Amino acid sequence: GGEGGAGGVQPPPSRDFQLSLEIDAGEGTIIKVTVKTPKDKEEIAIAEDSSVTQFKEEISRRFKAKQDQLVLIFAGKILKDGDSLSQHGIKDGLTVHLVIKTAQNTSTSSSTSTPAGSLHPLPFPAGGFGDLSTLAGLGMGSANFMELQQQMQRQLMSNPEMLSQLMENPLVQNMMSNPDLMRQMMVSNPQMQQLMERNPEISHMLNNPELMRQTMELARNPAMMQEMMRNQDRALSNLESIPGGYNALRRMYTDIQEPMFSAAREQFGNNPFSALGGGSESGVQPSRTENREPLPNPWGPPNASNPPESAGGGGGGPAGGTRMFNSPGMQSLLQQISENPQLMQNMLSAPYMRSMMQSLSQNPELASQVMMNNPLFAGNPQLQEQFRSQLPVFLQQMQNPEALSVMTNPRAMQALMQIQQGLQTLQTEAPGLIIPGSIPGIPSGGSAPTENPASSPSSAGTPPNVAQQQLMQQMLQMFAGGGNQTPEVRFQSQLDQLNAMGFINREANLQALIATGGDINAAIERLLGSQPS
Amino acid sequence: DARTTSPGVIKVPRNFRLLEELEEGQKGDGDGTVSWGLENDDDMTLTQWTAMIIGPARTNYENRIYSLKVECGPRYPETAPVVRFVTKITMNGINNSNGTVDSRSIPVLAKWQNSYNIKIILQELRRLMMSKENMKLPQPPEGQSYST
Repeated sequence: GGEGGAGGVQPPPSRDFQLSLEIDAGEGTIIKVTVKTPKDKEEIAIAEDSSVTQFKEEISRRFKAKQDQLVLIFAGKILKDGDSLSQHGIKDGLTVHLVIKTAQNTSTSSSTSTPAGSLHPLPFPAGGFGDLSTLAGLGMGSANFMELQQQMQRQLMSNPEMLSQLMENPLVQNMMSNPDLMRQMMVSNPQMQQLMERNPEISHMLNNPELMRQTMELARNPAMMQEMMRNQDRALSNLESIPGGYNALRRMYTDIQEPMFSAAREQFGNNPFSALGGGSESGVQPSRTENREPLPNPWGPPNASNPPESAGGGGGGPAGGTRMFNSPGMQSLLQQISENPQLMQNMLSAPYMRSMMQSLSQNPELASQVMMNNPLFAGNPQLQEQFRSQLPVFLQQMQNPEALSVMTNPRAMQALMQIQQGLQTLQTEAPGLIIPGSIPGIPSGGSAPTENPASSPSSAGTPPNVAQQQLMQQMLQMFAGGGNQTPEVRFQSQLDQLNAMGFINREANLQALIATGGDINAAIERLLGSQPS
Repeated sequence: DARTTSPGVIKVPRNFRLLEELEEGQKGDGDGTVSWGLENDDDMTLTQWTAMIIGPARTNYENRIYSLKVECGPRYPETAPVVRFVTKITMNGINNSNGTVDSRSIPVLAKWQNSYNIKIILQELRRLMMSKENMKLPQPPEGQSYST
């Protein structure tokens, strides 16, 4: 025929190939055949007269797959079990293609890592929101913890307004606009670190400032977030419709979301922002925001120890604005915190908490903003004033590990509460006694708001005088120190030092020491008239 | 016969080309997503070829192995081969009832050049599987073939 006619060359049939090889190789020789999947390559030595079945046995061992999952393709043909290798012309050095048919088809798809990769630029879908509660069921942390989180979650879910208000709080926005801060925060979190180790893509994401900024933009702007979420949901549902897609989704979720979410949850409360649809990077963030509230207010936790009243008081609270802190959810949060010192401990020991405290103490404005937002102070400008002046002291005390440990000590808290109650009683019994009206005023803000107006007029009548301030300071001091010594005794050594330095006004020294919590340098600065930092 | 259609360009004789393709198909280089070879080892005319395409991930073709037949006529590679699917598939440009590939719908076939080869056709078909217009088309149950 004409086909072979060009140049008179006869196409050597494959037989000739076989012939030449048979000259070189004897019968039953071992040949090395490369078996290739889209992801893998293995060289398998097999007798050249083997059957496909025997070949598959070897392959199944090497690729750790079941024989019936293996589909071998050579030169465009599927190798059937009954065939022999030589029948198909499989020789030494040739390549056979392997398809491993798994249910999820991970080995046959050429780029399975990309479904995971492509999601990274986006916050993790809130589709896992519902699943968070199931995660809770896994029993991470104490039961209290989980309920707490769920409660908060529900709270925020039911009140998106609250959430958006939270977001609008310039404080929050400030924080969010600082990518370095956020990154630092997240990185310093040991769980995050673990997660990052396990999943390098996460650290990559964190390291990408652009990405961070984007994410924070998103977190900041609920509307944008929603839009994004909607888009993502649509994309996801598209994915679902593809046969392998749903599985890929599930895989994605389990590989990525779960660890992130569980890590974030252990950090106490990424949930609030899940309502925004945010992922855990914004999740770690709001946990800071949420938790800020109970802590800076030393009167807060003792408040919560009056559960019925606080619940009642809290009911009147949520009337708009930043009253969220009085909402039942928050109240129960406070309550649970006081009931569960471990919780408090956890919160406090979280590294970001520390850094938050630090930044708070370094930035009195910030701190005062936080305080002022606390509705306990909202109705009482005088209180605010007092508190503001106490702020530096207070903040220092927050740094004081003793203070922190006191807060985690339920008995101490109870004692504190008793003191306050005693003061309250005193006030009603002996209104003439000069007692800082502010002190009973504060706890009553949470426990019974009705008392607040009652007590504040009385304190409004008496201008805050030095004595009151001193007493307040002493209270704070006691609270911080947890001891029963008078400041004089406690600061004896410091007083001596100050004396030796030439500050001979003992009273002034004492005041300064009380105000600065025993910090000599700060006291000196105070004495010299400059603002302690 | 080795006519030259344009001055200075020597056409490779058909059988040389096909032998090259045969060898390449056996070596199995590439990413392993397409495969081709002679249908019959003793086909001296190197006309009937059989090929495989592995359905790409994230499409409705995922996890499937599509078998095809490629016929390289006497005027190959000047003329494009005739391609048809053996395994049932739903895809633009593929005849629904017999699996023949419409040369006008597949770019490499419509604009065939003699430097193209079987591998390129298979890769093109696979790429088309990933296109938006095809990737979500509902597919017939696996393992069905057209009756020739």
